[in-house]
Amino acid sequence: MKGYHLGELEELILLTVGILDQEAYGVSVLEEIKNQTGRKVNISAIHTVLNRLEDKGFLKSEMGGATEERGGRRKRLFTLSATGRAAIEEVKTLRNKMYDQIPPFALDLSYGH
Amino acid sequence: MDTKQKHFPPKWPDRFLEFYCTPSRLEQIQGDAYEIFYMNLEEKGLAFARFRFFIHVLSFFRWNNIKKSNSTYQSYNQGAMLKNYFKIGWRNLVKQKGTTFISVFGLAAAVGCCMVAYLFIANIWFKGLHQPNKDEIYQLTYTAEGENGLVTYGSVGRPLAEMIPDKLNMIQRTTQVMRDFPILIQKNESYNQRSLYVDPTFMEMFVYRMDYGYPGALDDPSQVILTHELSEKLFGDTHPIGQELSLVTNGEEKLYKVGGVLADLHDMDMFTFDLLVNIETHPVSTDDIPLKDSWRDELWAFIQVEKGADIAQMESGLISLTKIQNQVNPEKPYQKLELVAFSDLVYKVGEIENGVRDFLGLGPQILLGAIGLFILILAIFNYVNISVLMASKRLKEIGIRKVIGSRRSQLVFQFLSENLMVCLFAMILGCLLAGFIFLPGFNEIASKNLKIDLLRDPFIWMFMGGMLVSITLISGLYPAIYVSSFKPINILKGNQKIGSKSTFTSVLLTFQFTLAIISIVAGIAFVQTNYINSNRDWGYDSADKIIVNVPNQEDYLPLKNKLSALASVTEVSGSQDYVGNWIREEVLDFGQEKYEISLLNAEANYPELLGLQLKQGRLFNSDLISDTQESVIVNQTFLDQLGLEFPLSEKITLDSVNYTVVGVVEDFHTIFFQSAIDPMVIRASPDTTFNYLTLQVTDGSAETTMASVKKIWHETVPRGLFEGKLQTEVFEREFSDVEGVRNILLFSAILAVLLAALGLFGLVSLNMNSHIKDYCVRKVFGADMGDLSVKLYKRYLIIWGIAGVLGGAFSILIISNFLDSFFAFHSGVGVLPIGTGLVLLLLVVAGTVGSQIWKIVKANPAVILKSE
Repeated sequence: MKGYHLGELEELILLTVGILDQEAYGVSVLEEIKNQTGRKVNISAIHTVLNRLEDKGFLKSEMGGATEERGGRRKRLFTLSATGRAAIEEVKTLRNKMYDQIPPFALDLSYGH
Repeated sequence: MDTKQKHFPPKWPDRFLEFYCTPSRLEQIQGDAYEIFYMNLEEKGLAFARFRFFIHVLSFFRWNNIKKSNSTYQSYNQGAMLKNYFKIGWRNLVKQKGTTFISVFGLAAAVGCCMVAYLFIANIWFKGLHQPNKDEIYQLTYTAEGENGLVTYGSVGRPLAEMIPDKLNMIQRTTQVMRDFPILIQKNESYNQRSLYVDPTFMEMFVYRMDYGYPGALDDPSQVILTHELSEKLFGDTHPIGQELSLVTNGEEKLYKVGGVLADLHDMDMFTFDLLVNIETHPVSTDDIPLKDSWRDELWAFIQVEKGADIAQMESGLISLTKIQNQVNPEKPYQKLELVAFSDLVYKVGEIENGVRDFLGLGPQILLGAIGLFILILAIFNYVNISVLMASKRLKEIGIRKVIGSRRSQLVFQFLSENLMVCLFAMILGCLLAGFIFLPGFNEIASKNLKIDLLRDPFIWMFMGGMLVSITLISGLYPAIYVSSFKPINILKGNQKIGSKSTFTSVLLTFQFTLAIISIVAGIAFVQTNYINSNRDWGYDSADKIIVNVPNQEDYLPLKNKLSALASVTEVSGSQDYVGNWIREEVLDFGQEKYEISLLNAEANYPELLGLQLKQGRLFNSDLISDTQESVIVNQTFLDQLGLEFPLSEKITLDSVNYTVVGVVEDFHTIFFQSAIDPMVIRASPDTTFNYLTLQVTDGSAETTMASVKKIWHETVPRGLFEGKLQTEVFEREFSDVEGVRNILLFSAILAVLLAALGLFGLVSLNMNSHIKDYCVRKVFGADMGDLSVKLYKRYLIIWGIAGVLGGAFSILIISNFLDSFFAFHSGVGVLPIGTGLVLLLLVVAGTVGSQIWKIVKANPAVILKSE
């Protein structure tokens, strides 16, 4: 099986970049994750993961969108690459496939009570 | 928006971020950090925002975000460059085996000498510093009014030492330490050993490694702890624990068992001792004496304070101790009591009377240090000269490197790295030389026990590291900077000329020769003085005489009678001191003046027995009562110093008794030639008991009689220490000391000459190699050996001449002072030492240069000119 090997945080951030679509950069990813999951992730961890995902080819980036808050500095805006999209797809399919294989009683929460 | 404009992220973290962050990521990271800062500012306030900013800057400090000084590619390259420096350096060294050997050997010899000198000096100054508790240990000292102002004493009254634990707080341990010299008797042999009587806590306060037994052995008062040396001396290879020995103090004999043996101290301990004894067993503890008298028994008191205790806080305790002392003992009031740190004791040698350490012996330290420095300078100059010359062979390499784009710093580094390699080899070789050759020899000569202790001595590593760096820089910086300064265009065109003709080389060579001459002169002058002194007339007849000591007055007469009865003994005479040893000094009144003189109290037949040479007047007549009561004999110096003529018209006064001078004897040496002859008065004392007996024995029987004398002595004095010796041996120790110094000086002179010769050889042969074509062309055109010799010799002979003048002048100045400090009687720096020095050096020059001339003479010009 061709593996994309996404870590948990990597998967989360990859999804967030997909959701944010054209507006994904460090701080916005941080905010989005906080809003969606309530998790507070360290900004430097997000940077590390974003850069790693770009190295792996799942993300593309370009500079742009300077604001006053940033002291006129540009953001590095990330977008999903084709590989990245495929990776999400595959992770999702794989997960669904495995989910379906769980015998039904495991879903029966009343089992055993 | 206004609030945002007013506040900015904290400056320092921001700068730190800019400092470390790699430029490609700085913009996004800093931007995000700023954005979050302003977000936090709005939500949580300024302090929180600033704090978070700081945290973020720190959390961004990750490997991927950190700016590398150069790109990864370059840093890899630098490692390769470094490797390259050493590889080229190594090849160069291997290619030039001869010169490398000269450099390494010279430096190694110098390092070895410096190492010995360092160990010797460190051994004196770093005493006791290996003690783990040294920072918490203090010695109690007091200051009192002395004859010439205030004096600080290291020993305090014994009761005072016992009061310390009650009066001072924050004390962990205290111990009393008392020096004594009891007679140690073991298996019918008696020895005089330096003992320390201590409390058992001594072994907890000071930590010693043990060969046998355990440190707590002193808790049992009947046990003693020996040093390694004493244990070897007494018991040899047998197991020392449990062996018995007895100590005699104040005529009382006490039996002890050996409870422990310390590991070899290597002379590094603060205390000098042979055995440790529990102080409870010393007579001062056991005897019942009134408090007042026990105050007079002074000893050292050491305390160990608790970790981190403040010494200033003990002031009040010390003051109350002072008060108690001054009440009990008002005749000698203390000004104040003080605590002196253990590690400062060595530095306060001159300030504390009766202290643990009495003298530093600066003379030998200066001598050894100077020798080490001499040799080191010689070796470094050799090396500098040779490496400049060697570099001249590599001019093309330097030119090409520069053209290709090598920076000057890189070239300097190239040369320095080669230097470092040579110095490293020299260090290693030098340590080996010092450890296996120099140190054992030196220990033998100086009766020391020095050792290079790489495992336990951090200072030796510091010393070696410092030496490596300094030798590398001193010897390498000049050649490296000089050679790397050339312009590539000049080098490649062939215009750049360097070589042995430079003034710099000549100056260094002159200096080397000067040093060599000084050390030769020192060696030879010392040998000459030694020779003259060993043949010097002692002023009396030393043959066939035995001196024995008499420890107790009551033993004197029985001993004298028994010894007189021996068949080979012809005459016996008693004396208070004996000739060949220190003689007590007295003050003499003559006319209105007072004079310091040596006074020898002896029986009336002593001068005659000793064979003193009478100059004027007469010797004592034993039958005349007046001779044993009011007559003295003086030596010639006495008359000279007092400006008198024999016979004297007046009487001289000693202890307010008047004496007539009945005779004058020629000067004779009572103490070694290191001291001048003092004015001496010999008094035929009416005393019937003396400290020493001198026996005149029949011709040639002195050594055989010695055994029976010793036997009789031990029968008569059961618990005493026999110190008999032959009159001919009284200067034995001094002679061997002087011989040791002579050997050291000779060794350094030989080494200096060897180094100078090696350096010269390297210089001349390298020079010859680069000019051999020149000489061959000359030869082809008809130059004979004489012409070539003149051309080659001229420069070195000039240098030799200058060095001869300088060296001669300096040695007259330095060496005469040195001899003066050593001997009252010496031959001075005469023609012989300087002449020999000059001739020796001339021979070295002639030999070295001659060997090169021989090379040309033998060379076939056709072969040499044809090649290339």
